[in-house]
Amino acid sequence: MGLLPDEAKVLPPPGIVNRNSVWFGLCGWATAMLHNSLNRRPALKAGVHRQALFTTVGWFIGYHLTKYENYKYATLDRDMNEYMRLHPEQFPEKEPKTFAEIVEPFHPIR
Amino acid sequence: MPVGRLFLKTSAVSKMFSRNSFIASKPDPSKPNMLRVGLAFGSTAVLWALLFKQHRTDVHEYKTRNGLE
Repeated sequence: MGLLPDEAKVLPPPGIVNRNSVWFGLCGWATAMLHNSLNRRPALKAGVHRQALFTTVGWFIGYHLTKYENYKYATLDRDMNEYMRLHPEQFPEKEPKTFAEIVEPFHPIR
Repeated sequence: MPVGRLFLKTSAVSKMFSRNSFIASKPDPSKPNMLRVGLAFGSTAVLWALLFKQHRTDVHEYKTRNGLE
């Protein structure tokens, strides 16, 4: 974890298959296929080593990006909860209303 | 000395990469550069191994820090 502090290790790590990994992997694959197309080679069948490498690089970047994203959201949640704990007067518990109290009276026009 | 003369590349060895028409060839798809292919597949394998190792370390760290092991 180069850009994550030590406290980030408390968070559950993302799975190997995660949203950012899949997206970046697909982007890498699309880049390799585009490279093939622009060099007038068959898009899927040529340069399989390049397709594999680009997909892998994308997947790798996506995994670490997901970890970073999880940490950022966790810090935001922690700060928000801490603020709510320190200022309870700004967050009063409201009694839940039933629909009967909220909904306007119904006057049918038939 | 005129300023233009200072930009003359009079050195025998050109520092700029150029394709000599005597040795240049079109890239031939039927003869792949196996070194480059091998390096690509090798680095792919290395990256996947690094990823799985990092994931394993992360899961272990998470479990130890939260007392789940």
